[in-house]
Amino acid sequence: MERVVEIKDLDELREFAREFAKRLNDGDCVVLTGDLGSGKTTFVKELCKNFGIENVTSPSFAIINEYENERKIYHLDFYRIKRWEELINIGYFELIQNEEAIKFIEWGDLFSNVLPSKRIELKFEIVEEDKRKITIEEH
Amino acid sequence: MNVLGIESSCDETSVAVISNGKLLSNLIASQHFHKLYGGVVPELSSRAHLQIIMPLLKQALTESKLELNEVDVVAATAGPGLIGALLVGLSFAKGLAFSLNKKFVAVNHIEGHIFSGFLMEEKPEFPYLCLVVSGGHTLLLIVKSETEIIKLGTTVDDAAGEAFDKAAKLMGLEYPGGPLIQKYARLGNPERFPFPIAKLKNPYDFSFSGLKTALLRFKQKEYGNSKIPEADLPDIAASFQNAIVKALILKAEKALSEFKVNSLSIVGGVAANERLKNEALTLASKFGIKAVIPLPEYCGDNAAMIAYRGMLLAKNNMFNSFEFNAYPSLKKINFSNWKSI
Repeated sequence: MERVVEIKDLDELREFAREFAKRLNDGDCVVLTGDLGSGKTTFVKELCKNFGIENVTSPSFAIINEYENERKIYHLDFYRIKRWEELINIGYFELIQNEEAIKFIEWGDLFSNVLPSKRIELKFEIVEEDKRKITIEEH
Repeated sequence: MNVLGIESSCDETSVAVISNGKLLSNLIASQHFHKLYGGVVPELSSRAHLQIIMPLLKQALTESKLELNEVDVVAATAGPGLIGALLVGLSFAKGLAFSLNKKFVAVNHIEGHIFSGFLMEEKPEFPYLCLVVSGGHTLLLIVKSETEIIKLGTTVDDAAGEAFDKAAKLMGLEYPGGPLIQKYARLGNPERFPFPIAKLKNPYDFSFSGLKTALLRFKQKEYGNSKIPEADLPDIAASFQNAIVKALILKAEKALSEFKVNSLSIVGGVAANERLKNEALTLASKFGIKAVIPLPEYCGDNAAMIAYRGMLLAKNNMFNSFEFNAYPSLKKINFSNWKSI
């Protein structure tokens, strides 16, 4: 099932993130794809505010960020990963099975072979300026 | 007191020895370096650290003219960092200390950076304003003493070093982006393209995500989907670097106007940026205080700063048990007395 949403500015992204947050359950995995600057981290940041989490930052360097308030969140980023085997060392395969946390994976499409079969994929596309097209697909 | 320092929080494996406050050896094997010698493309983190850590220790001791049993304290980075990478250095250090019956200190990586200015001849004077700028962190702090750190602000999205790397990627440059942007920027006009500086609720916080998007937008507007022509790279690099440095310096300046300190210290990988260094020197002289920016080998991840921090903690009797575990994120940054304003 595929759904497409058009977002015209940050306020609309916030609204979309708020609605999206309501539907998330512990254990869910959300994969975010799209170019640099397309809004993946901003989306996670806005979404997590709905769970009382205010300290979301880009995980590109750290690879895994962990947040906890009303929900427990793992915020991952494959941007810097060169081979999927590196994910073994990082503890990815244990983390991804955690049913108590919501997992977000930025740049997940770089290693689609390691993504859980049950996941929600959000594809971010830049239309122009602040406008974004988000395609939502449930696997 | 002979302190052995071990660092393996990310890409670099490093071993250092400090004897009675004097740095005797600081060996850094980046995974890139390792690639040349290992013959195989190493994985990020654990395995590469594991292969190189023992040879590094041996060489560091040889350079320091010390025997292993002359080491009094073993200090290692416990976090934040990649858990698999951290575990290699930390477990190695604990095993070493346990088998030699020596004291062990777990060091916070960020605190290592914060006190790295003390590795220089000219040292910071307490209290000092400290700007930590690296690939993973951007923090503005006031360091009151060896055990008291006050956090003024941090990045709300991307770190400064990350902004450099991602900008380089957008510009079609290779990794690591920071040094390449600096290289192009030397030849460019920093005022040609006005890139934005984020305004935030906390005046000491930073945000670089919008800057990245501004660059992206600029690129699309000017060049569509084609590559940025080589001739335009210097001005773009200079303007982008200018925006990052300005944001960092503005916040530091605000803090200096607000808080009375004796020094300004800029640390972490991005502190090697020459434009930032020059601006920091100008800023410090404006306030009549000392500026301390470590040499590049102490700016990037290194064990000298871990050994130094380990020595300070040991002096304060802040040892750790062998049960102390590695931790990946910044939130458990509470070895010393960290406060927020």
